[in-house]
Amino acid sequence: MKKLLVTLIALLAAVPAYAADGAALLKQVDRNMNPESYESYRKLINIEPDGRKKEYTLFTVKKGVDKVASLFIAPASEKGRSTLRLDENMWLYIPNVGKPVRITSLQSVVGGVFNNADILQLDYTAEYTVEKVEEQGNVYLLHLKAKTKSVAYDRLRLWADKAKKLPTKIECLTEANMLIKTLYFKDIKDFGGGVVRPAVMETDSPLYKGYKSVMIFAKVKARDFKDEVFTLPFMPNLESLR
Amino acid sequence: MTKGRLQKPGAGPLVLIFLFTLLASIDALLSIAGAEEYTFDVSEIEKKPYHIGGYAEIRPVLFGLDKDASLYKLRFYNRDEGSTLKEYNAALQLEGSLEKGIGRLFLRTNTDYRNSYVGEEWKTTVYEGFLSLKPSSSLTVDIGKKTLKWGKGYAWNPVAFVDRPKDPDEPELSLEGFIVASADYIKSFHEGPLKTVSFTPVLLPVYEHVNHTFGDIHHLNIAGKLYLLLYDTDIDFTILAGGSKTTRYGVDFSRNITANFELHGEFAFINDYKKKLIDSDGNTSEKETDAKSHLIGIRYLTEKDTTYILEYYGNGTGFTSGEMRDYFAFINKGHDSYVSSGNDALLKKAAKSTAGNYGRPNAMREYFYFRASQKEPFDILYFTPSITGILNINDKSFSLSPEFLYSGMTNVEFRLKASFIAGERFSDYGEKQNDYRLEFRARYYF
Repeated sequence: MKKLLVTLIALLAAVPAYAADGAALLKQVDRNMNPESYESYRKLINIEPDGRKKEYTLFTVKKGVDKVASLFIAPASEKGRSTLRLDENMWLYIPNVGKPVRITSLQSVVGGVFNNADILQLDYTAEYTVEKVEEQGNVYLLHLKAKTKSVAYDRLRLWADKAKKLPTKIECLTEANMLIKTLYFKDIKDFGGGVVRPAVMETDSPLYKGYKSVMIFAKVKARDFKDEVFTLPFMPNLESLR
Repeated sequence: MTKGRLQKPGAGPLVLIFLFTLLASIDALLSIAGAEEYTFDVSEIEKKPYHIGGYAEIRPVLFGLDKDASLYKLRFYNRDEGSTLKEYNAALQLEGSLEKGIGRLFLRTNTDYRNSYVGEEWKTTVYEGFLSLKPSSSLTVDIGKKTLKWGKGYAWNPVAFVDRPKDPDEPELSLEGFIVASADYIKSFHEGPLKTVSFTPVLLPVYEHVNHTFGDIHHLNIAGKLYLLLYDTDIDFTILAGGSKTTRYGVDFSRNITANFELHGEFAFINDYKKKLIDSDGNTSEKETDAKSHLIGIRYLTEKDTTYILEYYGNGTGFTSGEMRDYFAFINKGHDSYVSSGNDALLKKAAKSTAGNYGRPNAMREYFYFRASQKEPFDILYFTPSITGILNINDKSFSLSPEFLYSGMTNVEFRLKASFIAGERFSDYGEKQNDYRLEFRARYYF
């Protein structure tokens, strides 16, 4: 009986310790993926089943855990468009329309498999709590649960390399554990300034059979920005940061 | 800044169609070619101090005419164009910018070409052309011709006091601006429910050759917008004063109630608004009232990627059903007079009351806007069918416009759009010159 009690107490004590480890691990994954405040360039490629491609190039700036803005610099049809995310608020600015309109994380400003939440990605720790961490050979499997209903994916299964503490694969799931899409992280590259992270992210989805979207990163570097950069009136001026 | 000329119809549309097709085909082929491994060349992202871009489009339109309608009689009383009318339109929108230090010069011009029953017409307009100075990320100062685009509504913006009215049938088209001096001061806050405050003061001169279409001349008008991001809600307070128009105040807001449900609204109060009226005998008068306009709307995105936009618009400056009936009755009286005597004086008087007054888009009191668009149905990437309806709540007349948009080729966009309008005699849509309109638009961005 005494033995059972000791085991139970040990187990109860172990649960918060595991959760704390998971949160620390997720935070480490976030910091290894990007500095907390940084700029980067990304190319998004949507690939159709017949091989046709459509490409978009974006300049992205991020500050802290909840501020991110992106500017389309190519193709010509999208040039000058910008998106802004402040925590759960998202806006799209189209030069012709001339004023920012609110958008949602579930929509996609580029079509294809990536949606706005993927394009305006915040730190995982800002949106998710770690429910469970499993060890699978040389990877960790983190089971993540969205902190609020407004997060694009209710659950994530994140596989992270044990040594590098970088994600290798993420499955995005609904509340009922239905798979929405899978993200694959490839081609770990040294961007300089201590930023060593995957340069390519691929995604596919059972909802878009045969389609694939790819995100390629370039010039990821730490940079500090004023808070005023992440505001609606600044959206038409993002180009001035390049 | 505007030029126009009329000629007989010529080979212009064919040449434009050929050039457009050639440009679009080259670009489309480039986007299809090569399913090889993806690359990201850093030279693609190098910033240049200048930028030149824009789009070219062709837009043939077929109108189905309503020969009994008042506006048909007003426009076509002295000619017979049959039951349908063809029109070939083309447009070239050019924009360029030059950046050095804290300064940036920006220019956007629009050239419209139309080949219709009246002949060929070209019109070039400078939509925007201004110098922007940005001494810090908190402050921007702009001087020149600029569009400000205030308001949160999709189809209408009653608080957009310093903008030209947009066309609810094409709310996303760029508009011509006014010559202004304006500034944007932004301040962000870390803690508390107030995240952002920005203030936009605007000076808008109106003289003989400067902004003379805005309102009464010989006035330096002052306008302003105060923006707050408060409790995750966008809120704007707007004002215009100075004499060219009567003083007016506005407030608007936009907020996401849930991730896929957005609510927005606008309210405008216009002091001493002067409404110009014409009765069924052609007597003109002016009625002065304090007008209140308001708009409430939502955007809702379903799990199946259907976006709904709904808006209700109460136009305090609009005409009542009775006032509109009087105007239509006068046109018909003028038409009867022309048919019996050949004298078009009354019709010319009616035409004067139409321009910018009875003839402005959605000139009556209450409207309802509905738009449903489905993103990529049947797994067809970049294909968006949609349907738009505008209902005049007062007289139950309406327009209904289905459209198909395809943007699958890089920098090329195709749109097929139809519009059907219906309504009783002497109703808003019932008296439009067309029963239907069918148009195709191909646009190439460069």
